[in-house]
Amino acid sequence: MTCAGVGPSLVAVARREPPTALSSAAVGTLVCGCLGEKGPSGQERLKRRPWAAYVVAAGLLASPVHAADHNNLDAGRPLRFDDAEPLALREQALEVGFGAGWPRRGPLGAGLQAEYLYGFALNAHLSVGLDPSVGGRSESGDTGVSAGDLSFGLFHQLRREIRSAPAMAVRWDAALPTGRGSRGVDLRLRGILTRTLSSPRAPGSRLHLNFDLGLATHPGRGERQLNPGLVIGYSRPLGYPRRFTRTGLAELAVQAGPESGTGPVVSLGLGLRQQVGVRSVMDLGIRSDVAGINGAPRDRLRLVAGYSYGF
Amino acid sequence: MKAFLKQGGLLVLAALVVADAGGAGAADAPPPAPPRELPALPSNLPGWLDSKRSDRVFHKRGSFNFAVYGLKPLARDLNAVTVGHAMAYEDLVTGKASTLETRTFDRIDWILKNPPDLMPDEAAISPTFGRLYGVLEQVFDWTHVLHAQTVDVLASKKLPEAEKDRKIEGLWKYYFESVPYAITPLPMNMAFLDGQPYSGAFRKRYPKVNGLFWGYHWLQGVMYDALYRVPAIDQAASYALIGERYHTAELHRTDRPFMPMFAETSPRFAARFPQIANAFDNLHMLHDMVNDILASEWMTKRQKEQQIKRAIWLVSAAAHRDEARGDRREARGDRREARGERREGRGEGQEGQEGGMHDHRFFEGMPGMGLMKGMPPALMWMEGQGWMSMADCHHCTMPLWSGKDEWRNPTVSAEGWTMRVRCALCARDMSAETKGKAILRIPTEDPYRLLVVYADDQGMKGNMPGAVFLEKEGSHAGCDDWSRAFTGRAAFDAFVKQHPEYLGAKPLSFEEWAQRQGEKPDTYVKPDGPSENPYEEGR
Repeated sequence: MTCAGVGPSLVAVARREPPTALSSAAVGTLVCGCLGEKGPSGQERLKRRPWAAYVVAAGLLASPVHAADHNNLDAGRPLRFDDAEPLALREQALEVGFGAGWPRRGPLGAGLQAEYLYGFALNAHLSVGLDPSVGGRSESGDTGVSAGDLSFGLFHQLRREIRSAPAMAVRWDAALPTGRGSRGVDLRLRGILTRTLSSPRAPGSRLHLNFDLGLATHPGRGERQLNPGLVIGYSRPLGYPRRFTRTGLAELAVQAGPESGTGPVVSLGLGLRQQVGVRSVMDLGIRSDVAGINGAPRDRLRLVAGYSYGF
Repeated sequence: MKAFLKQGGLLVLAALVVADAGGAGAADAPPPAPPRELPALPSNLPGWLDSKRSDRVFHKRGSFNFAVYGLKPLARDLNAVTVGHAMAYEDLVTGKASTLETRTFDRIDWILKNPPDLMPDEAAISPTFGRLYGVLEQVFDWTHVLHAQTVDVLASKKLPEAEKDRKIEGLWKYYFESVPYAITPLPMNMAFLDGQPYSGAFRKRYPKVNGLFWGYHWLQGVMYDALYRVPAIDQAASYALIGERYHTAELHRTDRPFMPMFAETSPRFAARFPQIANAFDNLHMLHDMVNDILASEWMTKRQKEQQIKRAIWLVSAAAHRDEARGDRREARGDRREARGERREGRGEGQEGQEGGMHDHRFFEGMPGMGLMKGMPPALMWMEGQGWMSMADCHHCTMPLWSGKDEWRNPTVSAEGWTMRVRCALCARDMSAETKGKAILRIPTEDPYRLLVVYADDQGMKGNMPGAVFLEKEGSHAGCDDWSRAFTGRAAFDAFVKQHPEYLGAKPLSFEEWAQRQGEKPDTYVKPDGPSENPYEEGR
């Protein structure tokens, strides 16, 4: 991605964006990084590891919790943060998303994200995701069709919210280089805190903290092998106390630049999750990188639309 | 970068912890010294009572899931019930108890009149309650899943009627075995559960909201017989009447002496699935106990937490795992003592006697209903109806069908109650004696084809145009034989062929049958109970 000299894989990992360009992260990645600003060296690196972005994207897709409730938040649907709730035991969910990214430089990118989640144990679920894409990709500049990287995730809740202590969870993600031009495995560890805010004006609103640490097993020259990030998310049910089908989301994310020497990328996002059926939710999101320190690559805009179904 | 992240993370963490200030704070204010002695929390309670995780289990899979949405008015009313409970609990624990009867009631009432199309996320409505009483919320949630899924099975248009019983048995097994949060399927002594030092606090202080809660419980009971073995095509018509009654009368009653019991509202289902009826009554009683604890301002926050934990334990399946329906006292004390669950305070100190925690007797003829205040097993007292035997027909006092023939008992639902009777004539004539609208559910020769009759001042309408009736009136000692409904003429003829005593009996059409009125039953006896009104005693 990077556009700017930041190692794409790291960005990807760190952002955990779904591989396709378009899910929030995906889009971000795709578009962003890549299509955006990339110098020759960066471009070269990106060519080597386009999957990284996918991995990231996959991570986002792979989300937690009752995917089928508007108030349960999974990364990628539509913003990049998770809440600390796992799927219920034996619950399954399918999440699909379409994303489009508008990089600062380069053509538009588009992608699909698909992910399957399964609550295999109490307080834990597994996820498998794939994110085919086409058009501009941040990591490689390649505009061809890619099947995307295959990603696997494990989410584990450590504790629920108790009194004033936040709920805590961790998730591990690994993305295999199955996409076009991908290489090496990208890993990510995410720590998640979720805390309900006791605001009489915004009942049910929650704050979410996601701490990320990405590890690229085969980083390119100049790329960071370890890539930390932080996402602060906010969610609030809308329409209360008369309507109970919609949640608004916002996020502020800070992600280390993927390439050594670049500063962090700061991005903002807004999203909406709308319950459309007993077990189905549609989501819409928009994100933009508002600052890239020391030449870190930025995205102009990313749009995401998705659908989640629990069963 | 590292410094930035570290600093930012710490700031946000601090914000997370501090952000709660307003929440349960008001409820934390030191209350006055406890004026009443509270039962101690048993020692050696199982670890799950202190679980710090969500521990959620998904619905058992099946084609029936969410079939209740095929009956939209019922689904929407149930969605509103969820909101109502959650709003009240949240306001109780966030210092808004003083406006429970006004603002909270109005908010809930609006929802009940404008019910949501989809099930709301309860956790988003009562987040503070969930943070304070997470395990209680899990117990509620898990039993609500059983509630929802059994109704889905009954409302399913895909499942054959004969398959529904098996599915419900499977749901019970899933509920009971998946996680430790199950409520006991044994009948509990309601007088014991409602005889705690805090009992009655909520209903006295918040009669309107309590009326709503008990109205929900009425709906959550009555809907089962409204759907059980009622053909899917007729369920909407059944719920139209039930829903009307719910909204116009049951929801806003403040004069009930006790919460509606499941078997009072759905005796056919309760007799078939007593374990589920008992679990739902025990769940509803847990709701009441929690309401009372939260409404008892003389208790400290710590005491409330302990008493809520104890209340969960009292009705949990784990606390009664070596016991059986009908047990009346501590029968296996040694084993329980070995588990450290014996003699743990005043409440449990009663366990060696009838009427305590381990009193699992039930009303004769109704294994799905635990004993209630001042009532012996032989007789139940119902408001407006007085004393009655649940083993006998409420119209002619003759014994109801029992055992494998239990399904042959018709029921009459009117004015908020549902009674079992012995024959089609008893159902018809009993409904004629009541005011307003009534629903009669009359079994035919086929256990899975139920004749549903809607009666009002204008007459009767049935769901089975070809139904034929035998009615050769005599003493009610034999009414289970001479008064019967059949799905058609062929079934009638087959019955008569096997019962020559009815040769020559006229097969009555539905219209002919509906116009008739029998003699006053020669067998009827009004039972005398031990008191005029057990709820008035000791007041």
